[in-house]
Amino acid sequence: MDRRLAALLQEKFGERLLTPVRQRYDESEIRVALKDATDTLRTLHDDPAFRFEMLIDLCGVDTGEEMQVVYHLSSSTSGDWLRVIVPGLDRVAPRIASATFMWPGAEWMEREAYDMFGIIFEGNRDLRRIYMPDDYRSFPLRKDFYLADDASRSPAAGVRNMERAGTPADATAATVLRKSPGV
Amino acid sequence: MRPSLDDPRVAIPAESTWYEPAPTPQTERQAEFLSLREGEMFVNMGPQHPSTHGVLRVIIKVNGEKVVDLDPVLGYLHRGVEKLCENADYHQAICYTDPLEYVSSLFCEAAPVAAFEKLMDVDVPRRAQYIRVLTMELNRIASHTLFQGWMALDLGGITPILWAFIERDEIVDMLAALTGQKLLYNYYRIGGVNGDLNHEFMSRLGTWMSRAAAQIDSNLALINENEIFVRRTRGLGVLDAKTALKMGVTGPNLRASGVPFDLRRDRPYLVYPELEFDVPTRDEGDSLARYLVRMDEIKQSIRIIDQVLHEMPDGPVMAKLPRLLRPRPGRAFGAVEGPRGVYGTYAISDGTDQPFRMRIHDPSFVHLQLVGPLTKGNLIADTMAVMASLDPVMGGVDK
Repeated sequence: MDRRLAALLQEKFGERLLTPVRQRYDESEIRVALKDATDTLRTLHDDPAFRFEMLIDLCGVDTGEEMQVVYHLSSSTSGDWLRVIVPGLDRVAPRIASATFMWPGAEWMEREAYDMFGIIFEGNRDLRRIYMPDDYRSFPLRKDFYLADDASRSPAAGVRNMERAGTPADATAATVLRKSPGV
Repeated sequence: MRPSLDDPRVAIPAESTWYEPAPTPQTERQAEFLSLREGEMFVNMGPQHPSTHGVLRVIIKVNGEKVVDLDPVLGYLHRGVEKLCENADYHQAICYTDPLEYVSSLFCEAAPVAAFEKLMDVDVPRRAQYIRVLTMELNRIASHTLFQGWMALDLGGITPILWAFIERDEIVDMLAALTGQKLLYNYYRIGGVNGDLNHEFMSRLGTWMSRAAAQIDSNLALINENEIFVRRTRGLGVLDAKTALKMGVTGPNLRASGVPFDLRRDRPYLVYPELEFDVPTRDEGDSLARYLVRMDEIKQSIRIIDQVLHEMPDGPVMAKLPRLLRPRPGRAFGAVEGPRGVYGTYAISDGTDQPFRMRIHDPSFVHLQLVGPLTKGNLIADTMAVMASLDPVMGGVDK
């Protein structure tokens, strides 16, 4: 079932995929560029071969270098699950088209991604803060937002002392930001 | 003589229905919500309101007693669980997810554990899988019986919650004997569970199982035939299947609209493929259907527990794992079917001992969006009937 999905995705989207289809356990994963995101989601939703009609989850990811928006879709005909990663959003001013035209239920999830990462979803009618107060200025889940150190300094917390209440004045961006090699 | 408030000389004319300066609209939708037509006014419900199942504030725009529009205000319980998890190691992250939905915390644990196990390619021993299914189904029954009482309470009947608590307390005490905690169990571990079944748990479970079905049936008889309850919920807040799919609804709320989507059957995890159970659905999609689907699920859960107790194998309950877990860089999404819908966790590993990003998806958050569309045109009191039937838990909504 999953093999067939991989072949189908490769055939339908071809060079639009930034990396080959990845499959692990019961998950399949594709990456598409920002400009193709809306078209790809629409095809996945409407095409009778896919019918990814359920949006299971929508979330933002900050890799330390760029922002990503990740969609988890579920097909109502085959039962397949698909993860669509849209990488390459600018960290300073991340913008992407909203998915609310297809899934109105994405509205609050996009509001959450805006609240936590500052990602602007163009076309969302109600893009304002959802958890944090209206006059709050920063975006808590970004990698350059530091927590006041508490539990992570305890001996049981692992080997890396990563949390700092503030940024050292002489630190370079590379040493302060936690970056991921693989994502 | 003391001045009377009815005296026109001391009465203060109210200029606005806001007790503070009305907020300036930031979005198109908010501007639409804040504009009042002739005869409309705002009523504030919460944050401290018994019917909101937590700390939720809802601003309701009413015309007379009809709800025109409403705007939920979230964040009163926001703890930043995702950020905390990113700053804890993989074992510690699990206990942060417990208090998300405090009435069904085993499911909140099961989702991140499933994601982490995929990241680390861990095989869970068979006995541990059976124990997880057993405890999760018990937790599902506890959650659904509590829902039953809550829903009746929100509609004005106090008796059912007292009866519902009898069943729920028995399950909670049982799980406390097993895990040492009454609500926030922290029982699942990456690669298994924390401790095998013990004698007290098993003897309590045996006693409970011998009378559970009859007891739950008598609880149901208390409400299901109640004319006031049925007439207040039938045909209220109708959600059709197409809208439900577009709104991202999952779980019993989706099945009450006629879509037989259940992760336990459609995307099997643990030992669910080997167990026999039905996926109850209803076609009406109203508040009553959402209530009845959950009550049918209780019976299926009892059926599952019965099979699990008969088939549970012997063996270890934990896989052999190093103390310090450092999965390879990668991504995994773990999802379980909870009493409210799909609990999901999207975990990204960067090769260190802490999750690089941990996204927690909570069904209550999605379902709360529906309160607005479903209550438009109904009476204010019916807002609670709709909200109760969607069964959101604010701990999960606010994360």
